[in-house]
Amino acid sequence: MKKALILAAALTLVPTFVAAESFENAYLQARAMYGQGAVFEWNGKQYAAVHEEEVEADIAATAENAQMMVDKAKAKNKEVAELGFEWKLTRGIIKDAESALTAGEYRKALDLAAQAKYHARMGIKQYHYAQSSWQLSVPQ
Amino acid sequence: MRKLKTLLCATGLLAMLSAGSAQAAGQEEMIEMGKAVYLNKSRGNCVSCHQINDPDATQAGNQGPPIVAMKQRFPDKAVLRAQVWDATVNNPITIMPPLGKHWILSEAEIDAVVEYVYQF
Amino acid sequence: MKIIKTMAFGVGLVLSAQISQAADSGFTLETVNPEADRVALQNYFKKRFPDAELNDYVNGIYAVDSNSREQWEEIEEFPPYEFAVEEGEALFNTTFANGKGYADCFENGGIGIRQNFPYWSKEEGTVKTLEMEINECREANGEKVLKWSKGDIAKVSAYMAWTSRDQVIDIKLPEDDAGAMAAYLDGKKFFYAKRGQLNLSCANCHVQGANIRIRADLPSPQLGHTSHFPVFRSKWGELGTLHRRYSGCHKDSRSHPLKPQTETFRNLEYFQSYMNNGLAINGPGARK
Repeated sequence: MKKALILAAALTLVPTFVAAESFENAYLQARAMYGQGAVFEWNGKQYAAVHEEEVEADIAATAENAQMMVDKAKAKNKEVAELGFEWKLTRGIIKDAESALTAGEYRKALDLAAQAKYHARMGIKQYHYAQSSWQLSVPQ
Repeated sequence: MRKLKTLLCATGLLAMLSAGSAQAAGQEEMIEMGKAVYLNKSRGNCVSCHQINDPDATQAGNQGPPIVAMKQRFPDKAVLRAQVWDATVNNPITIMPPLGKHWILSEAEIDAVVEYVYQF
Repeated sequence: MKIIKTMAFGVGLVLSAQISQAADSGFTLETVNPEADRVALQNYFKKRFPDAELNDYVNGIYAVDSNSREQWEEIEEFPPYEFAVEEGEALFNTTFANGKGYADCFENGGIGIRQNFPYWSKEEGTVKTLEMEINECREANGEKVLKWSKGDIAKVSAYMAWTSRDQVIDIKLPEDDAGAMAAYLDGKKFFYAKRGQLNLSCANCHVQGANIRIRADLPSPQLGHTSHFPVFRSKWGELGTLHRRYSGCHKDSRSHPLKPQTETFRNLEYFQSYMNNGLAINGPGARK
């Protein structure tokens, strides 16, 4: 097995819609076709298709870390709510994460909070994408 | 082309999220899970838009194309997986939700539903 | 190792092309043209459903689906909203504690005016809906405001719609007021933008997806959408306002739903109602 550079793909993300071939597209395509952890190459380097939040949550399962992840999810969800693009289930997932934290199930809390934060981040992306794409379905 | 899942299996996170567990399970179990995803309203709910030749898929909708000749239409199963994961790549205004990109289904559920529909 | 690039490549190009083309066709405050939108929408549905009569679109899915129409017509023979309209009339005619009533708050004593709502208020710089003015009327006369979604407000609104049946929808967009145009554009944008975890726009179901089955349900065409509200839905077993329906639809996209009468929903109502100019009020209605 080759040594693949496991970098948090999303950590280096920049808004790259203009680029015909972007790191983000390569990342999404690998993830879409082969799932989590799929290895792909971009500009001569290898990366694994792991969401930013999955990397963030890949830390020691402690109460402190779980609380930190929950806080991050809440902050991100607040951000998307202000844009008017909050998703329906996110608050519930954050609540579940908090319950898991209270119950001492820190791994579960970390994973749920990671999902909630991912949802919030995707909602923000959806908002920005909508600004330049809503026109596509208007009858002309 | 390959998946280097093993690389990441070290992380505890994967226990819950990865397709690994589903793959470990038998093909049959996976198909069964895929069928549940296909039919269940709060999971994939694929049946709301895609007809499929399964007697349990009653009152299927027709917003999307029927699930037929999948092996001919998608010789590369990974392309089918990508379509389930995010159909907006091929059609930005599609009604089909991006089941993977928006983490509506887990990666394991996507693998499972792909296995299920690939039989038809 | 082979890399997968081709798909992503295509998308970037396609998108940028469509967007640059879009820039000139009524998507900004400078170019937006409500009349052109209205005509384009009518033409779209004429093409999709050549047999449907334009005036029939106020009947929703029953304008384009003959199978379910018969069943609906039977329902309309003994309309489930009849009692609510009577109650609405009684409520409408009940004087407030100060001796005044709803009739004092509206033009023409509140009779036969539904077709003029919502409208742009230059003074207040916002879109005013009928339900909003019903509550403002109460407040101004020292009465408690009603809840927005159902109950008495829907009944009063239903009675006012009932007295306006067959009146032609006439939504005005004052051209000398940029605020009105901005509100319209905001509503239009909301209708066509994808949102929620399911990534659905209103248009996904009610333009492209109209009259195509989602499970056993057929989504209605957006043309005619607001004419029959408030509506008695079998699913609710009671009357509900347009904004109750908006909240439900919004939630169906797996969005955290907005509350009734928020500015966004009022703007959406403004846009949708403008699309119906020329059609007739037929509220309250009965739907599945």
